[in-house]
Amino acid sequence: MSSALALRSAHDSAGPDRFDAAILAGVAAIADGPLAAAAGAIDQGSYPLDLMGQLAEAGALGAHLDRHGARFGLAIAAMQTASRACGATGFLMWCHDVCGLYMEQSGNPALTGAALADHVAGRSFGGTALSNPMKAFAGIEPILLRATPAPGGYRVSGMLPWVSHIGEGQYCGAIAGVVSAGETITHEIMFLLRCDRAELRPCPHFSGMEGTSTWGLRLDDYFVGPDDMIADPARPFIGRIRAAFILLQCGMGLGVAEGSLGAMHAVEETLGHVNQFLDDRPDEIAGELADLRGRVMQLARTPYDGATDYLIDVLDARAQTSDLALRAAQSSLLHQGARGYLMSSAPQRRIRESHFVAIVTPAIKHLRKEMARLSREVMPA
Amino acid sequence: MSASEPTDGLGPWRQFLCRACGLIYDEAEGDADSGIAPGTRFADIPDDWVCPVCGVTKTDFEPYRRRAPAALTEVAPVPPRRRGVVIVGAGIGGWSVAEAIRSWDADIPITVVTSCAGDIYHKPELSVALGRGLSPEKLLRETGGAAAARLGLRLMADTVAVGLAPERRRLRTTRGILPYTHLVLAHGARPALPPGLDPALCWRVNDFTAWAALHAELARGPRRVAVVGAGMVGCELAEDLARAGHGVTLIGAAGLPLPELLPEAAGRRLLAALEGLGIAYRGQTLVRGLTRAPGGDVALALDDGSSLAAQTVIAATGLATPSRLVQAAGLAFDRGIAVDPQTLRTSRADIFALGDCISLGGQPCRFIEPVARQAEVIAYGILGRPHEGYAHSAPVIRLKTRSLPIEWHGLPAPGLAWDVVEESGDRLAMVQRRAGEVVSRLVA
Repeated sequence: MSSALALRSAHDSAGPDRFDAAILAGVAAIADGPLAAAAGAIDQGSYPLDLMGQLAEAGALGAHLDRHGARFGLAIAAMQTASRACGATGFLMWCHDVCGLYMEQSGNPALTGAALADHVAGRSFGGTALSNPMKAFAGIEPILLRATPAPGGYRVSGMLPWVSHIGEGQYCGAIAGVVSAGETITHEIMFLLRCDRAELRPCPHFSGMEGTSTWGLRLDDYFVGPDDMIADPARPFIGRIRAAFILLQCGMGLGVAEGSLGAMHAVEETLGHVNQFLDDRPDEIAGELADLRGRVMQLARTPYDGATDYLIDVLDARAQTSDLALRAAQSSLLHQGARGYLMSSAPQRRIRESHFVAIVTPAIKHLRKEMARLSREVMPA
Repeated sequence: MSASEPTDGLGPWRQFLCRACGLIYDEAEGDADSGIAPGTRFADIPDDWVCPVCGVTKTDFEPYRRRAPAALTEVAPVPPRRRGVVIVGAGIGGWSVAEAIRSWDADIPITVVTSCAGDIYHKPELSVALGRGLSPEKLLRETGGAAAARLGLRLMADTVAVGLAPERRRLRTTRGILPYTHLVLAHGARPALPPGLDPALCWRVNDFTAWAALHAELARGPRRVAVVGAGMVGCELAEDLARAGHGVTLIGAAGLPLPELLPEAAGRRLLAALEGLGIAYRGQTLVRGLTRAPGGDVALALDDGSSLAAQTVIAATGLATPSRLVQAAGLAFDRGIAVDPQTLRTSRADIFALGDCISLGGQPCRFIEPVARQAEVIAYGILGRPHEGYAHSAPVIRLKTRSLPIEWHGLPAPGLAWDVVEESGDRLAMVQRRAGEVVSRLVA
């Protein structure tokens, strides 16, 4: 996966232009060291911006960008490595990665210059608020942010319930439906939303992954000018990055499954004599994980392939990472028995992480509905 | 706690749906957590009230109307614990395999996965039904649900097979993952549209659902219809439409219809017969693009620069076997799913295929006649019963144009000369010979 671009500055001590192996080694050192130690606290609510900064320094948060060789496979592998220690941090990496993707693909000089360099280096942080519009585009729910044209841009109002990896001084990619006369939405705009000009409202408690800095986001007459515009109209842009957006998520599920596999192996010597009677044994999970990872890495070579068949392949792989994470986490707890059931245990935490992988947009049910829609023949209305 | 029936004269208690998280505010129940008493009208809730689950504001709620429950009656929610045979496709191929298995084994679990409803109809009738005044109800022989009950199998309707893991014997579908002992692929082929033909502007008639929708459009009264493609399906549909009273233009790439199968003398007869029904033939013409014209017509841009307007456009431009599922699973594919010509096994011994989706020696064979024999071979193979094997022979092909029915014995060889063996006013017989041996014969 090394590209010419990666070779160019391969001797840099840090950053996303290093060799793949160097980046992955750096991520593994963080994952197996400080991240594994912090995983329980992150699950309880500690937002690991320091560790995200270290991951950025290791080069893990920009490898997928065109300017760093468009190494999507590497970005996914880095996310997997972190997620095997902490699913919440893997999710934060995805949020950060896709936000960088929006900024770069916007082609907007105000977003692709120093702002993106800071983002990739972990000097600033931002996430994504596309859960609602992605579901809106699939006809699952109405779009929640509304924009009205204003001199020099738009004014946006509305409330998004759950947006992650945001906070004071941070930002996220967001989409609003443009309403002109009446209630009709003419098109959508995508923009970089600055949290300092929005109201962050606390969310109810989730069953886990509380350290993802997830807030309700309320906008009241929020002005969007050209410097923050990612795409106007937004739909063609989303169509272009959609497969990449979904494919990147696979790193989370693969990592949760890999972490679960490790927990099964850890007790094989002592409990193998009884664990042999369980379903989804380590060999089986390991085989499926290797196959699925291979497919994901193959798909990661052409993230901007616009064919419908490619998109279905991506959705199928993403659905499968959810399925595998669920089964692996479940089996891992059963393999560990009572010690896995302790509130502080990693297998217990991974059960909840795997549930998150399966319900975060796009959830398994959304993926299936979309695959069914894409498989239907289009006919005259 | 909930309030009793309202007395404020504003009608029954109403419900409001949070558009963000799906919470329902019920006026009868109120919202105890926020101190909103039971019996509080939504309009009377303070404007700073927020959704107790997700925190969005009052303006993000909308009146809640109960949706009709999704029709799930034919989808069993739980996969069987016992593995068994999984059949993908509920056309004639899929149902034939199920029937053949059941005639020998009443117990083996069978699951049929189909992207349609699984209703049973006779496909060749689709290209002659309009002229006979047949309705969708008349064409439907048995509903999928009834057939599933009769055969004691599980039908997963409106379910798409999206992924296949042959080494783990698991089929991924849009309604869950199915383990199997044997898999039968009978998903058929799909209409192949040339670039330029917008699928939203032209019909393709390759299954009952599409035909029924087209039937509904044509039932509004006589229409100007353009049929793009003058192969077998195009010629049959053109005649059928003309007989049903529609004004038909048939557009073909060659000077005469059916150029792959008919020598010139026979092609002229067919053309004359079609023209005798009032069909206008536009030969040596390709359609470059379709656009919706003001007023509702579809404008067909032709490659000679001219254009044609039609109220309904039907494309009959051939079929292609979808390859994504099987190729991603590593099964051999060569213009169709490659199968062993005797056993109809794919490159994986526990996966069989039949019907329109297969190819034998790189040749698809999209005719109905061999399907029953193929199904029997597969059923025997699955049940481990001895069978002498499938023997493929070119089926007799019939063009169901009543104005000039044509029959072929032996598939015509491209480029080989045709000799007239009989010719009169109402009958033409021709043969192709290779080294003196007749390889193909047609009677028109």
